[in-house]
Amino acid sequence: MNKQPLEISINGDCYSLAVEPNRTLLELLREDLDLTGAKEGCGEGVCGGCTVLMDGKPVRSCLTLALEASGTHITTVEGLAQKGELDPLQQSFIEHGAVQCGFCTSGMLMAAKGLALNNPHAGNKEIRNAISGHICRCTGYTKIIEAVEAVVDRSLEKR
Amino acid sequence: MSNYAFIGKSMPRVDSRAKVTGEALFTADLRLPKMLTGKILRSPYPHARILNIDISEALRVPGVKAIVTGRDVIQRKWGVFGYTQDQQFLPADRVRFIGEEVAAVAAVDEDSAQRAIDCIRVDYEILEAVFDAMESLAPTAPLLHDNFPHNINVHVPINVGDVEKGFAESYYVREDTFTASEDSYFQGEPYAVVARFDTDNNLEIWMPNAGPHMKAKPLSNALGIPLNKIRVRKITIGGAFGGRSEIAPADLICALLARKIGRPVKIVYTREENSIATRQGHALITTIKTGVRQDGRVIARDVTCYMDGGAYSSTGPIAVSVPFLCMEQAYKMEHVRYNGYRIYTNKPPRGMIRIHGRAFACGVDTQLDMIGEHLGIDPVTMRLVNAREPGEFTNTKSHVASCAMKETITKAAEKSGWNDKWGKLPPLRGIGIGCNSVQTGFPMGIRGGSQAIIKLNEDGGATVISGVVDNGQGNDNMLVQIAAEELGIRTEDVQLVTADTEVTPSDPGAYSQVSTFIGGHAVKNAAENVRRQLFEIAAKTLNVKVDDLKARDRMIYVKDSPDTGIPLKKVVRMILAQGKSVSGQGDYWPKVDPKREWVKNPFGQMCGAFSFGTTVAEVEVDPETGKVTVLEVTAAQDVGFALNPLVLEGQFQGSIAMGGQGGILTEGHVWDGGSVLNPTQLEYKVPLACDMPKINTIIIESNDPEGPYGTKESGMSIAMSAAQAYAAAVSNAIGVYMTDFPLTPDKILEALQNKVESETPNQNEDVMEKALELIVPAV
Repeated sequence: MNKQPLEISINGDCYSLAVEPNRTLLELLREDLDLTGAKEGCGEGVCGGCTVLMDGKPVRSCLTLALEASGTHITTVEGLAQKGELDPLQQSFIEHGAVQCGFCTSGMLMAAKGLALNNPHAGNKEIRNAISGHICRCTGYTKIIEAVEAVVDRSLEKR
Repeated sequence: MSNYAFIGKSMPRVDSRAKVTGEALFTADLRLPKMLTGKILRSPYPHARILNIDISEALRVPGVKAIVTGRDVIQRKWGVFGYTQDQQFLPADRVRFIGEEVAAVAAVDEDSAQRAIDCIRVDYEILEAVFDAMESLAPTAPLLHDNFPHNINVHVPINVGDVEKGFAESYYVREDTFTASEDSYFQGEPYAVVARFDTDNNLEIWMPNAGPHMKAKPLSNALGIPLNKIRVRKITIGGAFGGRSEIAPADLICALLARKIGRPVKIVYTREENSIATRQGHALITTIKTGVRQDGRVIARDVTCYMDGGAYSSTGPIAVSVPFLCMEQAYKMEHVRYNGYRIYTNKPPRGMIRIHGRAFACGVDTQLDMIGEHLGIDPVTMRLVNAREPGEFTNTKSHVASCAMKETITKAAEKSGWNDKWGKLPPLRGIGIGCNSVQTGFPMGIRGGSQAIIKLNEDGGATVISGVVDNGQGNDNMLVQIAAEELGIRTEDVQLVTADTEVTPSDPGAYSQVSTFIGGHAVKNAAENVRRQLFEIAAKTLNVKVDDLKARDRMIYVKDSPDTGIPLKKVVRMILAQGKSVSGQGDYWPKVDPKREWVKNPFGQMCGAFSFGTTVAEVEVDPETGKVTVLEVTAAQDVGFALNPLVLEGQFQGSIAMGGQGGILTEGHVWDGGSVLNPTQLEYKVPLACDMPKINTIIIESNDPEGPYGTKESGMSIAMSAAQAYAAAVSNAIGVYMTDFPLTPDKILEALQNKVESETPNQNEDVMEKALELIVPAV
């Protein structure tokens, strides 16, 4: 298949690439750019493990063609920490024991980040909704919800 | 008690930073130079003879580098036990389930590999297949394996006491049958393997595993190369839940492809392949006959269980035994008889799962509630009357040293407000209780123990070498906690080298709830050994006795005068200056009866310790839709000792999700013959965040005399008792004892409908009887 040009910003770095029209954003990230933080748990948009932010909104990178992301800013889990400083959500996941096997963690964090960006004072129900498209087989979700709540609470305090 | 620096304290896990940054590499994330992509051709038929495999066209597909078929494997069948060797990986002659591996391709990319797979021509002679365990037992059923008559893979017979005499002496006897369909692991990470050979024929291999040493030995056999050439490497693992304990066909296939072409090969399973071609849980038909005294105490129990094992034996003898063992550990019985059968069918092979044998476990507890209702005894009392107590022996002669079963019952009942709710809830609301006990370990022969090696560096830091594997439950952190505690250093001073068969000594693996009890114990012993070496030198320097010393905060102190001490680093350097290294080993072997065998001799000490747990669930049922909403769940478990309460709570919560919420309400495979109709997460519904109830966790410590710091199993009991509690709560809510799991809305609606119908004619009969009485005066 003929490759098409793709201009894309990923974690603050600008790329000029040529990709096949059928290449998914997840394949581009994992196979072409070695950004393996996004995971493929199902390949059909159910598990949420491949979630990244596209212009601040969570998308399933397995269901998004790379070319659809043309001209957008993509943030993956590798881009959450800034200058070696963990994002408050990452820190909170660690402290609350929200990470067990870790396979769903990237997707969960990106969903939570999307929520925090778009609704910084989300309540328990909104948090549950935001991560309900993400399958975790280890934690029963309790500690993940607590970890996100703690960060949302902190942003409330700041206000 | 808590004079510990790290033990017993809630601490975030050492592996979590790499996981929240995306740095942690899972098998599918690996990329090696010149690596190829592997794909597997699978049987489309549930039972067929392979007449011919033509790979000539596939070999001509551009980008294809290697193809393997049954002609490339050593003809030696795999089985976990000598007497269950029935599975030829990549069979050359016959396939026995849809999805069985027939051939595999390695190519430069996935598309080329798939194109080649599509070009492989296989001629099959289709054979008659059987998909139901009971049909499989019939004399007319096709035989799956010639040396297993009647398709019986395993029969575990246990007979203790005189069951018939017990029934004769009973005040009340009843018999019920409970069934469940197959369930599945749905680990977060789909199965994946990366393999490479070097020019000296050494294999390096990465895959999600629950015991690298359990992978290495069968790989050594199947490849015909010595064990020290098999290097199962450490890799981040996305869950196991019992499903990744033994060698998988893909392990061998990936290694064969890599050896054939001399390049690394990676195989990544689709979600569908993970469901049909790794392992599933067993489907069960369990008939339980129980006789009790008037006070509810069980005198005799007779259980017959038919487990649909699929096409091959996997962990068969263990799988047949464990549901019985959980019951005999949890509840006392004077007389008991068990006949457990694992039956071959033309379906994917089945293994152990976190809620193994849900129809058995839920059946035992549901029947206790049925008996209780007949006798007028509430469920909590029924369980207290029958609960295991410390110091007792199980029917199959295992001594139970530590046991707080009764405390888990009373605490869970108290916290859940049982007394205010039982019998007092509005219609369609229900509350239920379940109790279970799980083994901390299995008898595992020469792989039953673990050894650890610790070396100290001149800066006072330690390297811990152990075969323990972390599937996601937090075993790495557990090892670090123990080593840091015993050596008196900080957790960041401990480096782990684990789960790598080139380096780490043998270990039983993480699939029998035994990592802390055995692997952690070995690290504790190794650390004590190293600490003794340090203390001997420190004692001379400080002019005190070895017993007076204590290590903490990188210092070695005199216990009663904390100002008198010497830096640990300095002691290490003093020993090095004497021309000696500071290192030591430690091992731990559980005190099990070596003569105990699953089928031939199921008597004697089963394992080092037993854990006990109780869950109470409260639910509400929507009579329009049959949907169950879970309002609150309370889980209490006797974990021996809580090494890290934060991690334990996570185990409790995850257990409730998998065992109760998923295991009882939604999870089960649906079939069309030998085809799984719901192999992906779209159709097979595992719990989501929006489904989960409020959860109360209660940690109870019985301080096991044998466990390190008193610890024992903690990852499985709650999944089991949660399943039992959920089942009981739904039955209580709708006023019908449910006997076929999972309890999906269609079954609940049907039960409600049948209940209405059965009650209405009864009323009519009453009316008729009264009318008849008026017409015909009673004689």
